Amino acid sequence: MRAPADLDRSSQALLVDRLTKVYGDGTTALDGLELRIPAGCFFGLLGPNGAGKTTLIGIVSGLVRAGAGRVFVFGHDAIADLEARLLVGVAPQEVHLLDAFDLSAKAGTKPNRLSGGMRRRLLIARALVHRPRLAMLDEPTAGVDLELRHELWRYLRRLHSQEGLTVLLTTHYIEEAEALCERVAFIRAGRIAAEGTPAELTDRFGGARLEDAYLEAMRA
Amino acid sequence: MSATELEIRQRRGAAALAGRETRRVLSLWTQTILPPVLTATLFLAVFGGALGGRIRHIEGLPYLSFILPGLLVMTVAAQAFANCATSLFQAKNEGYIEDVLTSPLRPRQLVFSYLSGGLLRGLLAALIVAAVGLPFAHEGAQPALAAFALILTGLVFATLGVITGIWAETFDQQAFIANIVITPLALLGGLFYAAQTLGEPWSTLTRLDPLYYLIDATRAGLTGVHQSPAWISLALAGAVAIIALNVTTALIARGWHLKP
Repeated sequence: MRAPADLDRSSQALLVDRLTKVYGDGTTALDGLELRIPAGCFFGLLGPNGAGKTTLIGIVSGLVRAGAGRVFVFGHDAIADLEARLLVGVAPQEVHLLDAFDLSAKAGTKPNRLSGGMRRRLLIARALVHRPRLAMLDEPTAGVDLELRHELWRYLRRLHSQEGLTVLLTTHYIEEAEALCERVAFIRAGRIAAEGTPAELTDRFGGARLEDAYLEAMRA
Repeated sequence: MSATELEIRQRRGAAALAGRETRRVLSLWTQTILPPVLTATLFLAVFGGALGGRIRHIEGLPYLSFILPGLLVMTVAAQAFANCATSLFQAKNEGYIEDVLTSPLRPRQLVFSYLSGGLLRGLLAALIVAAVGLPFAHEGAQPALAAFALILTGLVFATLGVITGIWAETFDQQAFIANIVITPLALLGGLFYAAQTLGEPWSTLTRLDPLYYLIDATRAGLTGVHQSPAWISLALAGAVAIIALNVTTALIARGWHLKP
């Protein structure tokens, strides 16, 4: 195993080193996954259902037990060092978040009484409430209408540019990754199939758009 | 970030979680405090008042004075257990346990935060029952001894509640432990009778019940009457509490039934 110093951990917002996760039922969710997300980057993770996106986020945030491998958040061991938890999740004040997501009128409403779109907004607001340096958003716009999606994009762009927030975004919407992400990785069967800027990936796989590159990478 | 700053944030987080647990007990008082107080008061009225007149004395004590310590222990044990088990189970069931698991709190801080609600519920209910039954406590009682025994009871059973709440996948499983383990332990722990008045094997079985020692210690504190040395009872309960706390902390650190 490489020494931690060799991994150049500190310059990376997220560094995943040969991470493997096999669930109790024998499902291999991550299979020696390697990933590096530079600090300050808006990073997209694209892959089909069951590719390992949510498992990766779960391990980094402490919701899923890691198998083999190592994970570092801004140089802190995400599995053993509790300080890493503080770096995965910051935020403006709650009131500000309620305003930003047009939830102020619903401040006294219980979450289970909110509409699907409202609940989605609340989940995103909650994810940012600790003002993280690395925000991990697992399909944040799934099931929300177009208007709210664009509103959310604007807010995430602002957080990223003004506050230097590193964002790891998983999504099934290729156009979302194209619109927001500086770098994108395709994940398949628990491994990174390809990684680069949207332009690099499009060039590498010879398609006209990122969608073509994605489909080609999934077929390879 | 310095280690001190992390520690400060962890303490603030633990205080917030403990605050949430205790507020939950107080805001739901019609479900958390009122029912056990009512039940214990009815026990006092029916068994102590109505039937006690026929039983007269046990161990030299009026029956009402004899059963009061056991009722307090039963109240603390059942309520501390129920609160922690329900709170953890709901947190898992409704998904907000994720907020706790992604926090930087140490496992021991999580355990103590959840215990705080159980301890408050058990001890507050017992305090009200004790206020009702105070006229039946004997002169020369040692309330500090009784309070210590009740706090130990709360610690042990709140910890068991945390373990049960983490383990239970359904509400039935949680209720099963409460009904099949906690209630029988309370009723068979010498609450209504003196162990030595029973024949074998019931006398020995009663002495194997950990609640027997806690009831005995509480009775020693409230009435001065006991069947075992109080310090042995408290030492045993203290050892069980320490073991239970360490086991619970280790289970949470490992993510047992919490993390796939």
